[in-house]
Amino acid sequence: MAQSITLNVNGKERTVQADEQSMLLYALRDNLGLHGPKFGCGLSECGACTVLMDGKAVHSCVTPLSAVRGRKIVTLEGLGGGSELHPLQQAFIDEQAAQCGYCLNGVIMTAKAFLDTHPHPTRDQIKQALDGTLCRCGTHMRMVRAIERASRHESTQEGQA
Amino acid sequence: MIGRRDFLKSSGGVFIAFSLFEPQRWPANGQKPGASSGAPDASKLDAWLAVHPDNTATLFTGKVDVGTGTKTALAQIAADELDFPIERLVVVMGDTATTIDQGPSYGSLTIRVAGRQIRHAAAAGRAVLLDMGADYFKLPASQLEVRAGSLVVVGDPSRTVTFGALVSGRRLDVSIGATGQTFGMKIAPKAVLKDPSTYTVVGKSIRRTDIPGKVTGEFTFIQDVSVPGMLHGRVVRPYGVGAKLVSVDDSGLKEIPGFVQVVRRGNFLGVVAETEWAAIQAAAKLGSTLQPAGPDKAGAKWSDWNGLPAMNEIWDVVRKTPGQNESVANKGSVDIALGDAAQTVKATYLTPFQMHATLGPSCAIADVNGQRATIWSGTQMPHQTQRDMSTLLGIPMENVEVHWVEAAGAYGRNGLEHAVADAALMSQAVGKPVRVQWMRWDEHGWEPKGPPIAQDLVGALDATGKVIAWRHHMWVPTTGDTRLIASELIGKPIGREGRGSGSVTYAYTFENADVSSHGEGRVGLLTAWLRSPAQFETTFAMESFIDELAAAAKQDPLTFRLSYLEDRRAIGVLQAAAEAYGWKSRPAGSQGPSTGDVAHGRGLAWVNRDDTYVAAIADVTVNRSTGVIRVSRVVVAHDCGLVINPDGMKNQIEGNIIQSMSRTLHEEVTFDQAHVTSRDWRGYPILRFTEIPDAIDIVLVNNRPEYPPNGGGEPSTCQTAAMIGNAVFDATGIRLRQTPFRPERVKAALGA
Repeated sequence: MAQSITLNVNGKERTVQADEQSMLLYALRDNLGLHGPKFGCGLSECGACTVLMDGKAVHSCVTPLSAVRGRKIVTLEGLGGGSELHPLQQAFIDEQAAQCGYCLNGVIMTAKAFLDTHPHPTRDQIKQALDGTLCRCGTHMRMVRAIERASRHESTQEGQA
Repeated sequence: MIGRRDFLKSSGGVFIAFSLFEPQRWPANGQKPGASSGAPDASKLDAWLAVHPDNTATLFTGKVDVGTGTKTALAQIAADELDFPIERLVVVMGDTATTIDQGPSYGSLTIRVAGRQIRHAAAAGRAVLLDMGADYFKLPASQLEVRAGSLVVVGDPSRTVTFGALVSGRRLDVSIGATGQTFGMKIAPKAVLKDPSTYTVVGKSIRRTDIPGKVTGEFTFIQDVSVPGMLHGRVVRPYGVGAKLVSVDDSGLKEIPGFVQVVRRGNFLGVVAETEWAAIQAAAKLGSTLQPAGPDKAGAKWSDWNGLPAMNEIWDVVRKTPGQNESVANKGSVDIALGDAAQTVKATYLTPFQMHATLGPSCAIADVNGQRATIWSGTQMPHQTQRDMSTLLGIPMENVEVHWVEAAGAYGRNGLEHAVADAALMSQAVGKPVRVQWMRWDEHGWEPKGPPIAQDLVGALDATGKVIAWRHHMWVPTTGDTRLIASELIGKPIGREGRGSGSVTYAYTFENADVSSHGEGRVGLLTAWLRSPAQFETTFAMESFIDELAAAAKQDPLTFRLSYLEDRRAIGVLQAAAEAYGWKSRPAGSQGPSTGDVAHGRGLAWVNRDDTYVAAIADVTVNRSTGVIRVSRVVVAHDCGLVINPDGMKNQIEGNIIQSMSRTLHEEVTFDQAHVTSRDWRGYPILRFTEIPDAIDIVLVNNRPEYPPNGGGEPSTCQTAAMIGNAVFDATGIRLRQTPFRPERVKAALGA
């Protein structure tokens, strides 16, 4: 049954009317108008719906709202700070790392969670981290380069700090 | 959607609000501001171009961008010809009320054909603006020059006027001339074009304007469109591909909060609800699940249909299917030459059903309201969709409007057109706007596939190792079946079945050659065009088999090919690839070094697809104990003539290489006798990040003004299977003649 559920999304408390057993993805997209996360498979197989939950990458297409209470959700829209692009987003623009771009949400959010725990990854580690995330256009080479570029940026920032 | 005339009346703010970065929400049917009065007239400049008071401009094109960056490339062509700043040029694509039908966006034809049409329209626009400037300054046009969207008096740069001020909100209702239709249409035939050597925007790697919105989530894909009052629909497809709907037990559906109704018409079945979740739940109750238990195990009861052939017999069925033979090339007498052969080589190549496998399941929104219909779709062919929906819904064409919105990459004709029909039928039934998105199993199960193809080849060598005969026969089911699934399910088929053809460009100079194909209609599953339709498969056979002959002749595969080629652009790409790779001559299959279980090889293949030439060379390793093939490096020489946007072109080539590697190594649609069984990414695996090459090196050949721009969306897909197969042969001496090259097949071939 639909009920009022309060979610913490991108740093704000948001209330949605939804079935507690329904999946987070639909609440984000349809109730809150956050279209960063995409429906790809509904089966936790492609990664297009990835969001951060308490900093970890999860597949929102198989995450029921009942499992989200009290958790902090970040979507692609919440990655940058206000009007600022996150370094990963900027790196994807700089490398022109998109064809159709439908998978970008999954690739960027997965990379974000990965870089948070592996700030200086090797190329092979990046590929491993993204192995559960599918891209059909074949933009992989550029995406890996973009993540490398973002990790260098993070290193530079640390160096300056 | 805002019509052209509204654009012209509007102030600059509207265009900023309409920028690509804004999430777009459309008003519901009937609330559209300033409804357009009929389709535009291709012979008038305002069908193509609008200049606004704030000196921005809009380019209108019936073409759409299927994720390949053509929106940016077409803008470059127009901006250059018009001498207008590209950052002030907005492109409206595929809107049936405001754009000309330039034919579907397929076949790597957008830049090649529509690019030329737009170039002419823009050149005519520049001339019209110069004439207007001559009136404005009361000077001959020859004393004016165009600089970045302004006219300037030669010798007196203080006297200047912007295009926007000059046009001052008027429509550019000026005849520029047009003949023909769609791909054959000639626009402004008398326009004076720029000398391509003076281009300043074409040839630059202009950044794509869509990417910033795509990395922030602000970009609106068709899957993100919502309209007021919109309901959510899901389809419930037959259990067996040809099954009939016997009955529908709708018990339990009304208990689903937000459930609205079942839509049943013939064998078409769908559910409509207020939320996606409710629609998904309702569809599941009726049988829409990843692994349905049987034709009568869910709410929808289907007849027990088992009309598909067994998977391993599909090529026999293809060979036995009635069709028509068509000759591609015929020279000398292969039969007589075979009698003189010192060595004869025969081979059969088999390729399976494959799928587009878009990452974003097909989606459409339809608002059918009495005798008006508004459609939002990511279709490759909005104008055809307008005609088809007019037929399907029984609504006059002028009352059907299609708004095109970019979809996830489709790579050909996938489910996008079919989802429109689904949404239209559901909206017509409920009288409200309905958004339909297919579930993953609908997409994998029901999208039109690329067909299975069987090919027989015979080659003969004389005692010196010279090729004296070449025969290549292809059995090709249709790659152009446009019949809409929903229309077939309601018993009112729209579209045509089409017939397969031998999509191959034969260019070798063998004295005796016989290249032919047996074109067929639908065989088993619905099939339509999938990136480089049939030519991916035919190039696999042709370029593998010439490697077989080179090996039989104990010759270097590059030298061998070059000795039978006269086509200079073919020779050009082969030599460019060889040079970039560092090719050293040695016989095919003489094998690279082996380290333990891992064998190394190199493979070469080339293609001419519609005058774009590609040669590619790969380094490959084969693990003899696991059967795993890894492609470590690919070198591509690509000649599509003048390249509009080099970085965009390279992006397409990388994509073609990786996607065709995936098709070569992994992809095969599986099915039982009722339906497709590879209904998700586990059943239909595609290439993953850990499998990509270390490097894809690209050389753009003949990227020069004197070569007109040809297409790049497909050609570099074609050569990959042969390239990898040839490298596997080089590494191991094993010839793979059936895709995909999955580890089990490789191990079986190796006898491991």
